[in-house]
Amino acid sequence: MDNLTLLMEGFGNALTLQNLLFALIGVLLGTAVGVLPGIGPAMTVALLLPLTYALDVTGSLIMFAGIYYGGMYGGSTTSILLNTPGESSSVVTALEGNKMAKAGRGAQALATAAIGSFVAGTLATGALVLVAPFVVAVAIGLGAPSYFALMVFAFVAVSTVLGSSRIRGLASLFIGLTIGLVGLDATTGQARLTFGQPLLSGGIDVVVIAVALFAIGEALWIAAHLRHGTPATIPVGVPWMGKDDWKRSWKPWLRGTVIGFPFGAIPAGGAEIPTFLSYVAEKKLSKHPEQFGHGAIEGVAGPEAANNASAAGTLVPLLTLGLPTTATAAVMIAAFNQYGIHPGPLLFQTEPVLVWTLIASLFIGNTLLLALNLPLAPLWAKLLRIPRPYLYAGILFFATLGAYAAGMQTFNILILLLLGALGYMARRFGFPVLPIIVGAILGPEMERQLRRALQISAGDPAALLSEPLAVVVYTVIVLFLVVPPVIKALRQRFGRGAGPTDGPPEDQFDAFGTQTSDGSARVIRAVRPSRRGN
Amino acid sequence: MTAPTTDAQSGLRGRLQARLHGRSELGVAALLAVIAIVIAVDTANIRHTAINAGVMGPQVVPTIIAIGLGLCAIALAISVLRGGHAEAEDGEDIDLSQKAHWPTVFGLGGLILVFALTMDFLGFVIGSALLFYGSALLLGSRRFVWALVIGILLAVGTFYGFVLGLGINLPAGLLTGIL
Repeated sequence: MDNLTLLMEGFGNALTLQNLLFALIGVLLGTAVGVLPGIGPAMTVALLLPLTYALDVTGSLIMFAGIYYGGMYGGSTTSILLNTPGESSSVVTALEGNKMAKAGRGAQALATAAIGSFVAGTLATGALVLVAPFVVAVAIGLGAPSYFALMVFAFVAVSTVLGSSRIRGLASLFIGLTIGLVGLDATTGQARLTFGQPLLSGGIDVVVIAVALFAIGEALWIAAHLRHGTPATIPVGVPWMGKDDWKRSWKPWLRGTVIGFPFGAIPAGGAEIPTFLSYVAEKKLSKHPEQFGHGAIEGVAGPEAANNASAAGTLVPLLTLGLPTTATAAVMIAAFNQYGIHPGPLLFQTEPVLVWTLIASLFIGNTLLLALNLPLAPLWAKLLRIPRPYLYAGILFFATLGAYAAGMQTFNILILLLLGALGYMARRFGFPVLPIIVGAILGPEMERQLRRALQISAGDPAALLSEPLAVVVYTVIVLFLVVPPVIKALRQRFGRGAGPTDGPPEDQFDAFGTQTSDGSARVIRAVRPSRRGN
Repeated sequence: MTAPTTDAQSGLRGRLQARLHGRSELGVAALLAVIAIVIAVDTANIRHTAINAGVMGPQVVPTIIAIGLGLCAIALAISVLRGGHAEAEDGEDIDLSQKAHWPTVFGLGGLILVFALTMDFLGFVIGSALLFYGSALLLGSRRFVWALVIGILLAVGTFYGFVLGLGINLPAGLLTGIL
């Protein structure tokens, strides 16, 4: 098979001593920063981005793959040992994981999370290898109308499907599009929203936007409500699992992978829905349903696998279509763009070596992660006790450094502060951050595709419907927008009783709660009523 | 003026508080509207040149965004007035039962602003060490010496890490020639 040959070639490139070193540094830094409380995967990736400035493309992408998986693994360690995670994708892990840790089974929880992440990450990356060429083959024949439709789909998905408030999601999206508008119009060279400031004519650097929204906004928000005293962390030894734990874990790992990958791969991704679905599935299938809510290992194994599988799935639309659907993917696009690389179907043709080296380094990163994190877990656990003033002062330190290094302009720090204030407001008023960053990144690209579609048709808007895929996508969007409110209205009219839980109807409908800064839904609200029911 | 009963007073205060709480989100709606107007004005000022006369000029997308933001502002205002409210974000180190501590937030914002304005003069090492020190103190650190030492080590370490490790020269400012 052709892509297997290419993958082998990718391994050949990634397995040089230097590149392995980059992968190792990436995994270590990603995990270390990701473990720190208050720092989610997106912030990890954004904060560590400047480190890759000096590397060549291949080296930096390899390091990035390590940071990507490391940051996610770090997040699950935090949620198991600390509870109430800041990042959405590990909320479900915390439900059972923290209970296990409190019951003295933290080592097993960390082990099933680490091994499950490895299994799911490897299988899902394998699925990426199989699926990506097919998507590319289809995508290469797509014209501007289809791309435009797919982008509209991504916009609708990130702003209305996940969040509890569509108005706030859409407002976030439009704010993001506004940020993307700043600068000279790509086609006509007309200045838009630059207010006569020449430093704005090149647009706002995506790194600055990401660091501002994720690091500054989060640090300011936490500073305003800083919990006094450090929350109790649970000391833990080297992770290990007994025979019984293996027996109870392997099926949830596989099921989590199967649930997670497709959800990541459709451009409506995010790890929240699959982790939640995996949790519900494991609870239903478990032989020990009574343990759920008290530390059931299946409740850690399944969601963690789903989380990692969906993270690998996210790379399908990212690499083949250039569509970021999670905050982390959005920051990765920024990393690509720095080297003048624009992910999309053409990337597989113009830079096959690069793409397949990246995919190979995902496998390597995953393996390194497992090999390192089992022995290093007690060390990571110590990181959780870092005094909070130093932690958040350090975040501000590195955030300003990253923004400055993005263009060697102090002006960037001012923009950083302004957008950081926006990030603070978003957290205060329940506006999801994901649509802001996706809008800012995809906005200019969407305008380009729209323009191209209309140019071909000499301005006839009917051209937007001229490709079959576009029509399908718009139909799905309409269903997305129309069906849930109709269901809600029907439920309200015909009363409750439609669901298995005893929560109020809004709780069932609102199963995915509010969006957090990672752009992800918070599931805790939906899970709580059913726990009460036990 | 007759003194109202305590009951009515607390009821009144409660209602006022409820209204004020809602009003802060009305402010967000107003901000969205202001952004929409800024975009609209900016778009109206784009010069019409021959190159703009193509199929889709540079005004189309900003106009759509301005309309979209305006509609969001109206919808948000209506939703807030009808009793909808946002849920603030929770997290590991966040205690939402406390009210926002504004001196810390504005202090940190001010520090970043001062850092941005003085960085070229002071240089990265002095500026960012002070940024770290000031932030740590604002965030409640009481180890006055330690925080400064950590800040200096972090700044010097990063400076040399960037110069030697990554080949990126950060401004040395006042310490030019010393570092």
